[in-house]
Amino acid sequence: MKEGGRILKSVAIDTGGTMTDAVIMDTEGEFTVGKAVTTPRDESQGILNAIRSACGYWDLDSEEAIKDIGISIYSGTIMVNRLLQREGNENIGVITTAGFEDLHQLGRGMQCWAGLPYAGRLHAREHKHPEPLVPREKIRGVRERVNFIGEELIPLYEDDVREAVEELLDLGVNVICVCLLSSYRDPTHERRVREIAEDIIKEKGKDVRVVISYDVAPIRGETPRLNTMIVEQYAAEPSREQLRRVQQSFREKGAKAPFRVLTCYGSTVSPEHERLVTTLMSGPIGGAVGGAYLANKLGIANVIGVDGGGTTLDVSLISERYVPTRWESIVGGFLLNIPMIGLRSMAAGTGAYLRYNKITKRLEYGPDSAGYLVGVCNEKANVQTVTATDCALILGYLNPDYFLGGDIPLNKDRAFKAVKEQLADPVGKDTYKTAKGMLDLIQLDEASFLTGIVEGMGYRPENYVLLCYGGGGPLQVAGFTKGMNFQDILVPSWAAAFSAFGCACGDYAYRYEKSLDLILPPDGSFDAIVAMSSTAGYMELKGRICKEFERDGMNPEEVEFRPSTRLQYMGMLDDLEVDSPSDTLEAKDMKEITSRYDKRFEEIFKRGTKSPELGYAITKLIGVGVMPVVKPEIPSFDLCGEKPDEGAAKGKRDIYWEGKWHEASLWEWDLLKPGNRVKGPAVIESPVTTLLLPPNSETYLDQYRLFHLKIK
Amino acid sequence: MKKRKPIGWDGKTLKEMIQESEQLFKDTRRYYGIDKLELKTKDPFRYERAYARLRGASESAWETALHVAASPIVKEIGELCFALYTPEGDSAVVSTGIMVHVHTMSEAIKFIIRENYEEEVGINPGDIFLNNDCLCGNVHTSDVQTLIPIFWEDELVGWVGGVTHQVDIGGVVPGHDLTCTVERFDDGVHYTCLKIGSNDEIWKDHMLNARRSVRTPMFWELDEKCRLSGCLMIRDATLDFIKNEGVEYYKKFIRETIEDGRRAFIARIKQLLVPGRYRASSFMGNTSEPIQLKPQATTAALSNMPLELVVKGDGSLSLSFDGSSAAKRFSFNCGIGAMEGGQWVLLTQCIIHRDKVNDGAYLAVDKDYPPGTWCNPIDPYLSYNNPWGLLIPAYTSMMRCLSYGFFSRGFREEVVPGYALTADAPQGGGFFEKGPLAGQYWPLSTFEISGQGYAASAVTDGFNSGYAMWNPEGNLGDVETWEVIQGGIPYLSRQLKPNIAGHGKYRGGSNFETVAMIHNSRNVTFFNAAEGLTFAGCGGMHGGYPQATSYILRAEKTNMAEVVKNKQPYPLGDPDPAHGEFERFIKGKITRIPEGMMIPIGLKNYDLVHWRESGAPGYGDPLEREVDLVKKDLKDAIFTKDIVYNVYGVVAAYAETKREWLVDYEQTKKRREQLRKEREDNSMTFEEFYQREKKRIVDGNLLEPVKRSYNESIQLSKRWGKEFLEFWNLPEDFRFKLEEE
Repeated sequence: MKEGGRILKSVAIDTGGTMTDAVIMDTEGEFTVGKAVTTPRDESQGILNAIRSACGYWDLDSEEAIKDIGISIYSGTIMVNRLLQREGNENIGVITTAGFEDLHQLGRGMQCWAGLPYAGRLHAREHKHPEPLVPREKIRGVRERVNFIGEELIPLYEDDVREAVEELLDLGVNVICVCLLSSYRDPTHERRVREIAEDIIKEKGKDVRVVISYDVAPIRGETPRLNTMIVEQYAAEPSREQLRRVQQSFREKGAKAPFRVLTCYGSTVSPEHERLVTTLMSGPIGGAVGGAYLANKLGIANVIGVDGGGTTLDVSLISERYVPTRWESIVGGFLLNIPMIGLRSMAAGTGAYLRYNKITKRLEYGPDSAGYLVGVCNEKANVQTVTATDCALILGYLNPDYFLGGDIPLNKDRAFKAVKEQLADPVGKDTYKTAKGMLDLIQLDEASFLTGIVEGMGYRPENYVLLCYGGGGPLQVAGFTKGMNFQDILVPSWAAAFSAFGCACGDYAYRYEKSLDLILPPDGSFDAIVAMSSTAGYMELKGRICKEFERDGMNPEEVEFRPSTRLQYMGMLDDLEVDSPSDTLEAKDMKEITSRYDKRFEEIFKRGTKSPELGYAITKLIGVGVMPVVKPEIPSFDLCGEKPDEGAAKGKRDIYWEGKWHEASLWEWDLLKPGNRVKGPAVIESPVTTLLLPPNSETYLDQYRLFHLKIK
Repeated sequence: MKKRKPIGWDGKTLKEMIQESEQLFKDTRRYYGIDKLELKTKDPFRYERAYARLRGASESAWETALHVAASPIVKEIGELCFALYTPEGDSAVVSTGIMVHVHTMSEAIKFIIRENYEEEVGINPGDIFLNNDCLCGNVHTSDVQTLIPIFWEDELVGWVGGVTHQVDIGGVVPGHDLTCTVERFDDGVHYTCLKIGSNDEIWKDHMLNARRSVRTPMFWELDEKCRLSGCLMIRDATLDFIKNEGVEYYKKFIRETIEDGRRAFIARIKQLLVPGRYRASSFMGNTSEPIQLKPQATTAALSNMPLELVVKGDGSLSLSFDGSSAAKRFSFNCGIGAMEGGQWVLLTQCIIHRDKVNDGAYLAVDKDYPPGTWCNPIDPYLSYNNPWGLLIPAYTSMMRCLSYGFFSRGFREEVVPGYALTADAPQGGGFFEKGPLAGQYWPLSTFEISGQGYAASAVTDGFNSGYAMWNPEGNLGDVETWEVIQGGIPYLSRQLKPNIAGHGKYRGGSNFETVAMIHNSRNVTFFNAAEGLTFAGCGGMHGGYPQATSYILRAEKTNMAEVVKNKQPYPLGDPDPAHGEFERFIKGKITRIPEGMMIPIGLKNYDLVHWRESGAPGYGDPLEREVDLVKKDLKDAIFTKDIVYNVYGVVAAYAETKREWLVDYEQTKKRREQLRKEREDNSMTFEEFYQREKKRIVDGNLLEPVKRSYNESIQLSKRWGKEFLEFWNLPEDFRFKLEEE
């Protein structure tokens, strides 16, 4: 703890369904974490409480501290919860190409099974489509058709448009989404529909907005394009008001700092961002952004980030400093085309339920979980089914009196009885052996999941540094990395708040993209025309980005514009993103772009089969406009001796590992100092997380306050 | 011939291993005669870890292969599957994807072994084999399998197989599920378990030949690379596994996991079903179009596909297609590999999805595919191009039989009263005429067929467009994606087609219809595969209806150019066939016939074609459907007003001013009573019914294809014939009189 005044540089907020985390960081890069209960009706309450709690650790008066904050960044679940709980805008109207009015209702088959575990994906009876967000009567078609190369096949029937608009207005819609087939190639028809609609709206004196899909995301794929538009109007727009309220509450407290929101692709934007839907899933993104930032600062090329929570394990992958962005993802059952940092989730949290299957005489876990209810050991929660946490508790890994700093007392006897009766007795094995066996099973699946992701890219774990964080990560990390030779295993000392830390690491940037769908034959004959189209495309993207910054009160001149291109080998359907040498391209630049792609393809898919002889397809153009901002430093501390201070030691506890009991030393997390080394068996405890060191392992806390794990 | 050192385990040849395995199974009814599951009992955790590790490897191979090298048809809908096999070719661990093929590759490996490749062709580390021959395990030529051996030191310890579905296989016309093939030579290029590479590399001579054998060489090449890279990944992961766990553990494990799979299957059967004999029928017709590509083609045939499922007291199953119609000179003959695959994929979806998904389930089922029938034709020179045409309807019977069992045990939510034929399957192709793409070929092969409606259960409605019996992870590509591949036939619509979902207390899923227009193209071929005059699979249960059948609708030599120029309405679908939009909106030669299977035709620019994907069967009496659910069906365009009135007895009207459907509950009550009364009035005693139907039989008052089909069944199966004749009390020598013998 430091004497004297601290100045807060930033506050990063992560509002979850139950708890709100606030990470405050001072000008020297030190952090502390505050937690408070989320207040869904007015989130600002919970946020301010969390900040107050964080300030409390540093003996700061939050009312004063907040005034000097440099920036506040928000990530959270309000939007996604609005979608999941169906509490969004019910008055959306849609105009689409005649004959495609059922697009939203039909959806895509994958919407009814993606996200289920292996068994559920096979078991068709479990599959289910999401209920549409817009009822059929509020979706109208207009006759027209543009084809896949942008030719007009059928002109726009303008009378159809007038009729559709009038009908939608009669139905009381407050916004009209226009999404026509192949408009990503040519938006002329969509723009004309908007013109006609706006005229009629004006004539009738109504307050109804009209948005066209080309403006939201001119990307191929009508289902995700329309879904994204609808979700934007359904969940994101209504949340804008809430974000403004949070911003307002900061202002009222005297904060002068800008307030920004984390996007799914890892940058931060103003709550006034035109495409607010890109912040839909910001919650789990923070960790990935923080991982990428840390890796960059420490000069690590390949990082696998593992975020262990109560319900899921979220994994992000950085290969050769490349943070992959995915184009399509399913949120709340809808396929969307929001650019999102590639995250993979597995239903294997610390709260996963464990069961014995009487039919096949097998022990099974998940996919459901007790989440924040913890397990049978949490008497108050009245959980009946054993969870992974119950097993960790009886094996000695968790301190029953220190869970959330003692706020949730854990009953070990109750957990033991439940594990014995529900799992051990049915398989006729010892209770401890069974508990350990179950954790092994989960952790092996986690290991397979990680291996799959790494090897899926053609690499081996040896090429990667594993970075583990989240409340439940450090407890499991020794288990799921067993037998895998990662280059290094890192646990930041601020692991429990790493996601919120990550929020502060994002660029202040707006990203826009559009489909191009042009072919580059191997003979170079199309290079000039593709270069010309790309240049025009970049100009369009740049214009939109500058508008965003202007609205934020920034000078567009200061924006750094980063153009990139997505392309693929002709015939394939998976594209990769490479930086473009410039935003004004000439024919000769295309060679440079394709050779960057060849290189990246080989880096990313080691085992992939490069096929340059087939030529290339340029799929999309991307423009990112970045405004320079200050980011957290990773402070370096003087190293103390290897031996921790005596005050850090908390005594001994037996832990069960590989069939035996071992006496483990116990340590207070926050009292370990850079340079300290702890040998397993040991348990390092903090109120919010626990690092387990099995026998034959050790950890070293480096000058950046990162634990390095070695497991023999 | 030079004698090589055996590559099987413990100095045996692979052939000897198969013989031993089969003998042990025959003697003990257990896989490899395994009595105790020693690994599982001794250390269940290590055992489960082992399974998880191997399955994880096949899953990640599946995923990677999709990303790095796959054609759109494979990538967009996951038409790909990998599995790890024992040296004898029994699957131990499988990936997800088009799982129907897991057992088909098993048959291919067994073919390689039985044909003594070990000594006569050579099976070496790094060898690559290719198969798409239906007589050694494959479903149809369009499914292409890559198989590689896994060696540990000098022993072959397993095989890896990967399969993808090709958009074109060089058949007599473009496409992947043809309707006009008659003999093997029409089915496209054949690879009969051919060695195509060594040292993990595909030979150049093979690649040159393959590229010239199909109409879409680029897709062939991408998919061949995709299969091989996935296989290599699983092989490497398996070798890693052996390094970690030891070869002895591995060998014991892969056998034990199959026996474990067999036992889990039996345990599930005991949990879910009731012992007894279950029977169901299904029928399927092919085209009756008189003009065929080949004069010897069989037309207007009805295939009889009776199924008997016996659930034995010990939890094992037996399945028989005794009484089936004969194999024919058409596209729909079905090899045993396809039959096994179809059966296995359905069992994984409703019985063993939570357990060890491997050949254990296959071993727990005894089957009877009578020789000479459609499901075991024996003759390699027939066509097997489109076995799905019969296989899919045939196995709806199995789902109905299983569902009676589920229902009896109280698992009402598991009931699946049949499913849709994965149709329409419009196919063909053409060449761009003008513009930057002039001269380029475009194939028509939307895999929208993987997005059929799904049937109702005994407690819920089915869902729309999202299921295929051969791949439960059905998907439906975006129109904008398909059009990039098949740009010469743009879509004018993809909208819900009313009245195709199977009716019931719980209705089946519905689906969409499309009108597409030929544009900027020449030399266009078009055809479709679907059911027309018969219900594919007679779905529906406890009063639920089957889904609607398909039909052919198209317009040639149209005035579309003019209609569009004048901004007049053009057809977007066929919601009300009695007042068709084709007939009302455009001029031209309009063809509307109640057939499903279509022989390839040529089309020109501005011609319009219509297709629809299938709905699914319903469950229970429609008169018991909640009135408000019917109201929602009207709102969602699942059914129309007249159908709701006639089938559900719901009296509803659309209120223009309020823009909503209003139901008259009082009138509905009356209408339902009236319908019940009509049913009562139309009913007859069984005796009356029997006499009426018998008279039809004796008088030969049946359609010609029906009579022919019954004669075939009587002829081919003594048991079936006897039962038929005894039931109808007919003389032993009774046969239907046919117009042409």
